[in-house]
Amino acid sequence: MSDEAPEVLKPLKTFSHLAKERRRPSEYEITTTKAYWLMDSLAPGDDFPGERQTKEPFEISSEIPMAKWYHKYRDESPLQYKNWEAYRDPDETIYRTYCRMQDGQETYVDGILDEFSETEHDVDLDPKWVKVLASLYTPGRYPLCALQMGSAYIAQMAGSSTIANSAMFQTADEFRWVSRVAYRTAELAKTHKDAGFGQDERKHWEGDAPWQGFRELFEKALVAYDMGESFTAINLVAKPAFDEAFFRQFGASARRNNDMLVHFLADAALRDSERSRRWSTSFVELALNNPANQKVFQGWIDKWVPLADKAIDAFCGALPDLPDGAKDAKKAAKAFRASLGFSG
Amino acid sequence: MAELERTEWYDLARTTSWTPKYVKEEEFFPPEMSDPYGMPQEVWDTYDEPYKTTYRDYVRVQRDKDIGVYSVRAALGRSHFVEKAPRGWLSILKSHYGIIASVEFTAAIYNCRNARFGRAGGMRNTGTFGILDEIRHGQLEFIFPHEYLKNDRQWDWAVKTYHTDNWTAIAGRHFIEDVMVTRDAVSSTLMNGFCLETGYTNVQFISMAADAAKMGDYTFSNVVTSIQTDEARHAQIGAPNVRFLVETGHKDEAQYVLDNAFWRSWKLFLTLTGPAIDYFTPLEKREKSFKEFMEEWIIAQYRRQIDDMGIDEPWYWDIFLDELNYAHHGLHMGLWRYRPTLFWDPKAGVTPPEREWLEEKYPGWNDTFGKSWDVVIENLKNGEVEKTLPLTLPMLCNICQLPFVAPPNRKTKDFKLHDHTLEHNGRLYHFCSKPCKWIFETETDRYQEHKTLIDRFLAGEIQPMTIPGVLAYMGVAPGEMGDDADKYTWVDAYRDVKAAQ
Repeated sequence: MSDEAPEVLKPLKTFSHLAKERRRPSEYEITTTKAYWLMDSLAPGDDFPGERQTKEPFEISSEIPMAKWYHKYRDESPLQYKNWEAYRDPDETIYRTYCRMQDGQETYVDGILDEFSETEHDVDLDPKWVKVLASLYTPGRYPLCALQMGSAYIAQMAGSSTIANSAMFQTADEFRWVSRVAYRTAELAKTHKDAGFGQDERKHWEGDAPWQGFRELFEKALVAYDMGESFTAINLVAKPAFDEAFFRQFGASARRNNDMLVHFLADAALRDSERSRRWSTSFVELALNNPANQKVFQGWIDKWVPLADKAIDAFCGALPDLPDGAKDAKKAAKAFRASLGFSG
Repeated sequence: MAELERTEWYDLARTTSWTPKYVKEEEFFPPEMSDPYGMPQEVWDTYDEPYKTTYRDYVRVQRDKDIGVYSVRAALGRSHFVEKAPRGWLSILKSHYGIIASVEFTAAIYNCRNARFGRAGGMRNTGTFGILDEIRHGQLEFIFPHEYLKNDRQWDWAVKTYHTDNWTAIAGRHFIEDVMVTRDAVSSTLMNGFCLETGYTNVQFISMAADAAKMGDYTFSNVVTSIQTDEARHAQIGAPNVRFLVETGHKDEAQYVLDNAFWRSWKLFLTLTGPAIDYFTPLEKREKSFKEFMEEWIIAQYRRQIDDMGIDEPWYWDIFLDELNYAHHGLHMGLWRYRPTLFWDPKAGVTPPEREWLEEKYPGWNDTFGKSWDVVIENLKNGEVEKTLPLTLPMLCNICQLPFVAPPNRKTKDFKLHDHTLEHNGRLYHFCSKPCKWIFETETDRYQEHKTLIDRFLAGEIQPMTIPGVLAYMGVAPGEMGDDADKYTWVDAYRDVKAAQ
């Protein structure tokens, strides 16, 4: 410190790191930006005088396994950007709006379930379709849990608290559908006692050919520990592929088999899926401010899309009355990536 | 048919583990992230989270809870409590938000670890609820202080603290990272979920809620009470894991991580909560002493909790009970003396009636800490404020990062101030206590590299090597640096005594 007397800081209208914006910050920005410190090592601290400068993710030893993990998979990721902190969720989701929104969505789903239950929907299902539900729908809680796990991983490795926040809400969304599929499983088991509902899901997931593509895709995506690759493998490839196949195409097949309940549930789930794509788009747009990242993303997409397409083919190929299911699912997933400027 | 009961489908939603085929098990659940104890999957399959809820019920209940908290905020915002509140009380709020808010978000990261690397579906789901809860807490604890920024710059530290090298931030990061985010998913659920969140947060949140309600600060009382109701749910993520470890022959490991976390938690809370309860809260509004809260919530409750699990009391229990009588008094005195390093204004809290209360709650206080305060008071009465300010830096412990403290009376036969040292790889480490030294010795690799603020100072990393240089390094500037909460007006009570005599 020089002999010059330091400036006496004045009260502020907002937190100092937001003050330079020269506008009133939103509640989202107030509650979500710079929310913890584990990413301080990724960029020089320049929001206020005296901000810490560090190259280490953690205060304690850089030799512990977790520090090495963060160095390798986050700090040294091929996906580099100088200011991840600039990421903003286009929906500006905060906790209280999330709970309000999803309570509304769940009330809608409750209403559908209740209505179909009242009219004894499950009793009228075609036995052939019941078999499809048992083998291709209710085992879905396993891949949904894989997405829950994968989203939680993206969050813990995120380069900013705003990115983490988006991935955390996505984790909760996946758990929402694990829960709803479990609910439907138990409900179906009441009417169709011998179809294996609530008993055979793991067997189908681990053993049936239509699932093995997704199983391979998710198992491999979950161990793609680089933070950029895990985001790409999950949010740009595996999740769009799964959501298109398991929700949109299965929903369409259900519609053609007089199972409007699954069709409506799928529609509700795709709302969450759209939110994931919106924030993923913002993330990619920010990252592409570094032109070198285009190639990095594209490289990972080229690596992961063949596995995802194979998974879609295997799954959608087994869906009754849906000759174009696989084609449509692949096309939709590809269109999403094309909207971001990627091929494949 | 009507809506299914939760029990009819709940188990399915947590039966989500499968055997990976396309990748190796140890890649899928790397031991250093997941379970380094190698407990078999059959054990994990019996994981049963004690507190059960569903996504559906969660968003409904939490939506309503938030409507409650935010409507109280809207109503009470018009009462301008903060503008009128005593500065000592504001110090409690500022230190709470500055030390706790970012930790809540860090706890969300910890729960992400559980949601990804937990080996049981129930653990992953409890982790997912924990993620949401901790986002909530962090966001509440940012939005409330944000309202007050226009009054004074210190509120900025609700976000700023952990992005600085302020000593409180170094100590906080070192502790929180150790118990929450730099260990595998099993150990951290013991250290954070079972020990810190179940045991200690009660002391901060319940005691503060009680004192806040008495203060008439219904906003703060309402926020911390609401937060604590979430804590009670997700904190239980660790309980099944303690049992698993004991049952699979890993009791010693469980005992170690719990004893580590218990001691480290004590050090945080004696710094944050101890002074808040026994010095910053106005005398007439105090519910109980810090020691009494500790006895109720820690000694009784934690003991019961570990007994149930087959865990022994920590080996240092007597040291802990002894420190309960004095450590936070020493820390408080340190906080007050080093007030320019803080982002809140510590209250001295040692007027004659306050001293009477301290003596009643902590017999012997007047003969020890009171004597040191007498010197401070004499200096202040003589107008020599500079004699009460730091000229140099205190010795800091290489584990807890806190100053060494003891009752200041050398004449007692068991003077407690000891520098517990250890020479390791040519470096001399200093510890404030036997348990801190023991923690270091048990996991030397984990701690040996770290430099305390003093180590950094002595290594020349802080320039210039003066008090203003250190303050700049710590990120505190005039306009936000702490001063006596009452602007020394409390010293008048002693002037009046003298005049009366």
